[in-house]
Amino acid sequence: MKQRSKQFDPTTLEIYRALFTSVTEEMGVALRRTAFSPNIKERRDYSCALFDSAGRVIAQGDHMPVHLGSMPMAVAAALRAVKLEPGDVVALNDPYAGGTHLPDVTLVMAVYGGGSSEFGGRVRKISSRQPLFFVANRAHHADIGGASPGSMGVSSDIYGEGVRIPPLKIVRHGEIAEDLMSLLLANLRGQYERRGDFAAQIGSLRTGEMRLLEIVEKRGARQTTEYAQHLIDYSSRIMQSAIRQIPDGTYEAEDYLDDDGIATDDIAIRLRMVIKGKHATVDFTDSSPQVAGPVNAVEAITVSAVSYVFRCLVGDVPASAGLLDPIKVIAPPGTIVNAIHPAPVAGGNVETSQRIVDVLFKALSQAIPNRIPAASQGTMNNLTIGGIDVRTGEEFSYYETIAGGMGARPSLDGLSAIHTHMTNSLNTPIEALEYAYPLRVRSYKIRKGSGGEGKHRGGDGVVREIESLVTARMSLLSERRKNAPYGLHGGENGAKGVDVIIRNSNPQPDPAESARHERIASKGSWLLSPGDVVHIETPGGGGHGSQRHR
Amino acid sequence: MASEQKRNSSLRVGVDTGGTFTDFVYKSQGRIRVLKIASTPTDPARAISHGLKRISKETDNPLKSIRVIHGTTVGTNALLERKGAHTALVTTAGFEDVLEIGRQARPELYNLNVVRPPVIVPEELRFGLRERVTSTGEVLISPTEADLRELLERLRSSRPEAVAVCLLFSFLDPRHEKLVSDKLRELEIPLSLSSEILPEYREFERTSTVAINAYLQPLISRYLGKLADNLPLLRVMQSSGGSLSASAAAKEPVRTILSGPAGGVTGALQIARAIGVENIITFDMGGTSTDVSLCDRQGLRMTNESIIAGLPVSVAMMDIHTVGAGGGSIARVDEGGSLRVGPESAGADPGPACYGRSDIPTVTDANLVLGRFGKEGLLGGEFKLDEMKAQDALAGLAKEMSQFAGRAINAIQAALGVIKVVNAGMERALRVISVERGHDPRDFALVPFGGAGGLHAIDLARALGVPRVIAPQAPGALSAFGAVSSDVVRDFSRTVMLATGRESVSAIERSFQQMERESRRVLKKEGFPNKRQKHERILAMRYKGQSFELFIEYNPRRSVALAFHRAHRERYGYSEEGNVVEVVSVRLRSTGITEKLKLEQLERQRSRKIAEPAYYARVVFTEKPVRAPVYRRDLVRAGTKLRTPCLVTEYSATTLVPQGASAQMDSFGNLIIEP
Repeated sequence: MKQRSKQFDPTTLEIYRALFTSVTEEMGVALRRTAFSPNIKERRDYSCALFDSAGRVIAQGDHMPVHLGSMPMAVAAALRAVKLEPGDVVALNDPYAGGTHLPDVTLVMAVYGGGSSEFGGRVRKISSRQPLFFVANRAHHADIGGASPGSMGVSSDIYGEGVRIPPLKIVRHGEIAEDLMSLLLANLRGQYERRGDFAAQIGSLRTGEMRLLEIVEKRGARQTTEYAQHLIDYSSRIMQSAIRQIPDGTYEAEDYLDDDGIATDDIAIRLRMVIKGKHATVDFTDSSPQVAGPVNAVEAITVSAVSYVFRCLVGDVPASAGLLDPIKVIAPPGTIVNAIHPAPVAGGNVETSQRIVDVLFKALSQAIPNRIPAASQGTMNNLTIGGIDVRTGEEFSYYETIAGGMGARPSLDGLSAIHTHMTNSLNTPIEALEYAYPLRVRSYKIRKGSGGEGKHRGGDGVVREIESLVTARMSLLSERRKNAPYGLHGGENGAKGVDVIIRNSNPQPDPAESARHERIASKGSWLLSPGDVVHIETPGGGGHGSQRHR
Repeated sequence: MASEQKRNSSLRVGVDTGGTFTDFVYKSQGRIRVLKIASTPTDPARAISHGLKRISKETDNPLKSIRVIHGTTVGTNALLERKGAHTALVTTAGFEDVLEIGRQARPELYNLNVVRPPVIVPEELRFGLRERVTSTGEVLISPTEADLRELLERLRSSRPEAVAVCLLFSFLDPRHEKLVSDKLRELEIPLSLSSEILPEYREFERTSTVAINAYLQPLISRYLGKLADNLPLLRVMQSSGGSLSASAAAKEPVRTILSGPAGGVTGALQIARAIGVENIITFDMGGTSTDVSLCDRQGLRMTNESIIAGLPVSVAMMDIHTVGAGGGSIARVDEGGSLRVGPESAGADPGPACYGRSDIPTVTDANLVLGRFGKEGLLGGEFKLDEMKAQDALAGLAKEMSQFAGRAINAIQAALGVIKVVNAGMERALRVISVERGHDPRDFALVPFGGAGGLHAIDLARALGVPRVIAPQAPGALSAFGAVSSDVVRDFSRTVMLATGRESVSAIERSFQQMERESRRVLKKEGFPNKRQKHERILAMRYKGQSFELFIEYNPRRSVALAFHRAHRERYGYSEEGNVVEVVSVRLRSTGITEKLKLEQLERQRSRKIAEPAYYARVVFTEKPVRAPVYRRDLVRAGTKLRTPCLVTEYSATTLVPQGASAQMDSFGNLIIEP
C-alpha cells in the first residue's frame, strides 16, 4: 500500500500543486473583498489553508507566515473536539486549544462530496459520507474583548486578554448559530464590524468548498485525495534535500526579549540546532521559563517560526505538512516557547515569534553564513487605539502593526520600511484610517539612518505619528527597544525602536501649555486626551559585513 | 465618384507597434488591407511614418487627412525599463515617503533575497508642503505664499522634467493642489495633479498613479507630438478600450498603459460581434507572457486595481490578467519531482533549444517535438527551427522525470507533460477572469491570438467547458484591426457615498443626468450626433463597512439594493439583507460609436465541402504520432470543413485542432472550432 502510494506522475503532481494553492488564494480574495474591518480588508491580516481528510495541511495561500505554520494545530483541535457535519463551521481562538492569541479567530469547515450550499447554483454529482477535505481561515479581529480596546494590552493572565472560544460550531447545517454569535458579540467591541468579518470568513470557506468540489468533480475524488498525499510527500522530499545542503553539526544561539511588560528583565530564548544528514532537531530546552506578562508563546507559534525559517531555505514549494516531517522541535512545557494555561499570550504570536526567528537564523548563520541575513526589526510594533468615536457615538478599535528595517543580506542591503519574517500585513492607508476612526496621521516617513552600517546596510525603520481626536485608550506591544537587532559578520546593529507620547501637540503653541514629550515603555496601556500624539520609531535592520568593505 | 472621394478623405488606419512588426489595417476600395512593416524599436515612429507614407501613396490620400488610431507600448516599455522622466513629487509634509513605503509588505514571503521594484521618484526629488485637509474635507492648514515660493525654488534647483502633485484628501478639496500647480506653472514643465487624474481615496495607489503619469508625460508627449506633426487627426488607444485624442493622451499617458493589448481585445470583440457572438474570453499567448480578458454584453470588463511593472495603477482599465508563461517558458523537474514550467523564460536569447543556441527545454520545444508546427516552423519557414536540439532537450527532461516516477518516460511523454502543465497555468488564468468573477465559461467563446494562442486554445476550451473557439484570421494584426474599429470612449465617475433608499434614488438620478449632459456635449464636439452616442449607467456598491465594490447596472425601475444582494450572493456565496447597502460612486461610460469597418464576406463554397489539405504530417495529439492533414489557412475557402485532427498553419501562428473537435472556415475567414 505504502509502496503504491509513492507512485506519482510529475505532471499531475504539478497540476495539483497549482490547483490547491489557487483555491487558498481565491479564499483570501473573497475574504478581503467582503470583510468590514480595516485590519482584514486593508491590512490583509488573515490566512487561508486547505487540509486533507486527516487534517494535514496540503496548501496555503501566501498570507501571514505566523498563521500558516500554526493553523494545522487549530484544525487538529477542531477535529478532536467536534464532529463536523456538512454545512457546519467551527470557530476557535483558545491558545490552549489550537489557537495562538485571542484576536486570531480560526474557522474550519469540512468539505463533503455533494457540498453544503447551492452557491452558484451548481449541482453536485459526487457525494461522500466522510469529509474529503477541510478548509480553514484565520483572521485577526480588531477586538476580541478583554481589558484593553484592541485586546493587545498587558494582562497578567489569559482571562484579561479577551474572550476564549474553544472549538464550537458557529454555523450549524448552513445556518449561523445565533445563540453563540450573540454571546460572542456581546463581549466584543464594535459588533457590526465583528459580525461582518465573521460573515466574510464563512463566505470565504464556502468559496473554498465550491472550488474544491469543482476539482473533485472533474478529476475524481480518488485522484484528488491521492495527490493531496503526494504533495505532502513532495514537500517532505524538498525539505530533506534543503537540510542536506546544510553542513552537519551542532549550532547554538541565543537572543533576548526586552521584557514582558510587567518586570524589566531580559527573557532568554536559547537554541541548540543539530543538523544530521537530511534531518534537523531544534531544541529550545534552555530557554527562560514562561513569564507573567503577555509575551508567552504557545507551542504552535514556536513550530510556526521553525517552519517559516526552514521554508525560507527552500525554493517555491507548497507549505504542506510534509515540510516539517524532517524537523523535530523540542519546546518543553512551561517555557517562554511553550507556555501553559493560564499564561497571557497576546504578544507571543507577534513579538516572541519574531525573536524565535532571530535565534534560528543566528544559529544557521554559523552553518551557512553566505545565505543568512542579519536580524530584521524583530518586532511588529503592535499599536491599538480604542474608545468612543464622537462622530458616530459608536465604539472603535484600531489595530496596526508598523513596518521596520530588514536585515542586510550577504549580497544585498536590507529593504527599508517593510514587514519581515512572521508578518506581511499591509498598512492601513492614511485616508482609509481617517475615514474609519477619530484619528489623524501626523506623519509617516522612513526613519533615515536607522539601519545598521556594514558592507551591506540594514534597511531603515519607520516613523509613524498618530493623533487621537478623542479621549481614547492606547496600547503598545513592541520589542527591540533595549536589545538591538543584531548585525552579522562585522555589520553593525540596527537602531533600537523609540516610543513617545506627545501630550498636547496641537499646532498653536501656547507658551504656558507647550507640548510635552513623554517617553513610554515598550509595552503597556495609556490614556490619550484629544490632541495627544503617539510617535513611534521602529527599529532598523542589522548590517552585514564590515563597513570597511562597502 | 464623389462618394468615393468623400470616403477617401476620412481614411482611417489602425496602427499597432509590436516587437517584430508594426501592423497597419485600413480599408481601401471596399477591402480590408493589412500592411506589415518591420518595427524600429529604437524609434517606433519611423516604421509608422514609413508605413503611412506607403498607404498614403497607395490610396491617394494626403498624409494629413488620414485618421490614425494608434496602439502603442512606448509608455509600458518605459515604465518596465524604468526609463521615464526625471520626475519630482509634491506631497503633504510628513508624507514624502508614501511612494517608497508603499503598503509596507514584501512581494514574496519566503525569499530572503527579495527586492522591491525600484521607486520612480527618488528621495531627493520628493518635496513636502505644509498643508492639510481632513477626512471631512475641512481645511486644517493652508499653504502659505512663502511656503509655495520656497517649494518653487527647491523644485527649480532640482531640475525635474515633470512634476506630480498628490496631497492628502485632495479628492475632497482640490484647492491646495491647484495653488501648487498655479505656482509651479512658471517652471514650464508638465504637471500632473492627483485631483484631476484620480480623485479617489487611498493615498499610495493615487500617488503611484499620478507619479507614473508624470514619469511618462515628457516621453509620450514628445513621441506623440512628433507623430502628430504630420498626422493632425492622430488618436491613441486607451487602456480601457476606445480611443482618445493625441493631445489628451499626451496629457494623461497613464490612461494608455495598456494601449497595445486594448487593441487586441477590441479587435477580438469586433470580430465576435460581426458573427453575432456577444460573450468572449480572449487568450493572447506570446513568447514570455499571456494576457487573458473577458468581454460580455457590456463589452470589456474594467478594473481599477491593476498592477503594472510592480506599481499600482488605479485609473479604470481593461481587466487583463497576465501570466508569466508563454512559448519561451522553461521546463524543469524540481528537487521534489514536480514538473515545473516557467516563470523563467529563455527569452529571445538564448531562446528555446530549437533556436540552436542552448539545450534548455521550453514550451516551444515541446510543441516542436510533438510536430505541432507542421513543416513550416515559425514565420512561414523564415525562421528555421532545430528539431534535433529540441528532441535532446526534452529527452533530458524525460530522464529526470523517469527517476521520480519510477518508470520510463520518453521525450514525447515529457513534451505532453510540459504542455499539460503550461495549460494548467493558462486554465487558472482563464478561471480567474471568468469563474472567480462570477461568469460561467460555458456561456462564452474563446478567441485565441498571439503566436501560440491557437496551439493551446482547444485544450483549454475543453478544460473549461467553453463550447466554441473562434480563431480569427491574421491574428497578428488583430490589435491594429481593433484600433481602427475602436469607438471613442469616455469614463466619468462621481463619488456619492449614499445609503440605498428612496431619497438616494433622486440624488443618483441627478448625478447621472449631470454627467450625461456634460458628456453629450463633449461627444457632440468630437463629431458624434446623439444617435451615435451610447451612455451606460453603473453603480459601484458595497455593504457599509466593506472596502471593495461590486458594479451593478443601474435600472431606475428596479431596487438597486436587491440587485446588489443578488450580485453579492452570486459572487461570494452569501448576502446579508439586514445590512446597510451603500452606493459609493455613480459611473457613466459614454461611447461615441464610430463607423465600423464592414468585414468582407468571402465567397462561400457549397456547404459540406471538405477542404483540401496542403500536405500530411506526423503530429502528436494525445499519445502517439498520427498522420494528420495540415491546412494552409489562406488556401482554405469559406464554408469548408476541415478533417480533424489537423493543423492549420499561417504566417504568424498555428492552430491545433485535436481529435473529436470539428472545424469550419466561416465566411469572414474565422476558423470556428467546436471543441
